[in-house]
Amino acid sequence: MADPEHREEEEAPAVGDDEDTGAQVAPIVQLQEVAVTTGEEDEESILDLKSKLYRFDKDGNQWKERGAGTVKFLKHKVTGKVRLLMRQSKTLKICANHLIIPTMSVQEHAGNEKSCVWHARDFADGELKDELFCIRFPSIESEYWFTRCYHVWCFHS
Amino acid sequence: MALPQQQIVNYPTFKLVLVGDGGTGKTTFVKRHLTGEFEREKYEHFYTNCGKIRFNCWDTAGQGKFGGLRDAYYTQGQCAIIMFDVTARLTYKNVPTWHGDITRVCENIPIVLCGNKVDVKNRQIKAKQVIFHRKKNLQYYEISAKSNYNFEKPFLYLAKKLAGNMNLHFVEMPALAPPEVAFDIAAQESIEQEICMPAFQPLPDGDDEAFE
Repeated sequence: MADPEHREEEEAPAVGDDEDTGAQVAPIVQLQEVAVTTGEEDEESILDLKSKLYRFDKDGNQWKERGAGTVKFLKHKVTGKVRLLMRQSKTLKICANHLIIPTMSVQEHAGNEKSCVWHARDFADGELKDELFCIRFPSIESEYWFTRCYHVWCFHS
Repeated sequence: MALPQQQIVNYPTFKLVLVGDGGTGKTTFVKRHLTGEFEREKYEHFYTNCGKIRFNCWDTAGQGKFGGLRDAYYTQGQCAIIMFDVTARLTYKNVPTWHGDITRVCENIPIVLCGNKVDVKNRQIKAKQVIFHRKKNLQYYEISAKSNYNFEKPFLYLAKKLAGNMNLHFVEMPALAPPEVAFDIAAQESIEQEICMPAFQPLPDGDDEAFE
């Protein structure tokens, strides 16, 4: 991982990151591979961007991080419906999952031109919840493509 | 093995004991894994190539400050994480005490030692000074609960050991189709009003950090 923040790693002992240091413990369960599904099988990805997502905590009056990973716009191959789906990197858990519908709108975050804000009824937890989201991108270009895609599919849906 | 007050599910649950001195970032670390800070339950779910699993996370919530934890906290613990803060030497010195408490009650369970806050520039404990895990055959990870660095590694290691499958890895959580939402214009207008203020509220961290 090319991350200047963690130069310390170079000084680390020559134990590989994932190397097992040899603890001998008996497994509690014996788990075998199973068939897995992403839930995205009937959709095509329109846009796919690295980003960091926040949700607004009204009680604390502040933005809180919801996860860093990849945000996608997915279009259903049959119904044509478009949804926004964001997964956390590494664990691949869902941070946001909602349909893009005409009444929605996205606006730039006042403090940062690489980020923008919108409201959605989100289904990430498997139940609908009103959320105010802010997403931050590594570049202005990414933010541009996100906003553009968002507007286009609000209009077309 | 059924633990008290545990809801029954059709996939494996592991009791995880999370220990370490106060202020080492245990609660922040667990919250990171609860997909945001708003889930109240202490269950941490993961989706793997061997099916869904969950950890029942026992977090001391600062009780450790008052000298040791009750045995009940450790009873039937199936795996453990010992956390210290690489910017506070004393928290590393106390690691053997925490380890002793775990092994006294739980005997031989998989344990991960985590050096947290590696994002901070002035470390007191360098990576090469961390040696306790070698004597005791613990797994060691340098992590940052703040920047998400290596945040998935401790759980992944424990899952592999508990499941007896070193090929276990995380897979996509199934993305269910979100239901249709009926919007009314009045509600939408009040939402537009609501957005105005947060749009001026700064984000919690810097603009320059790396994206993975």
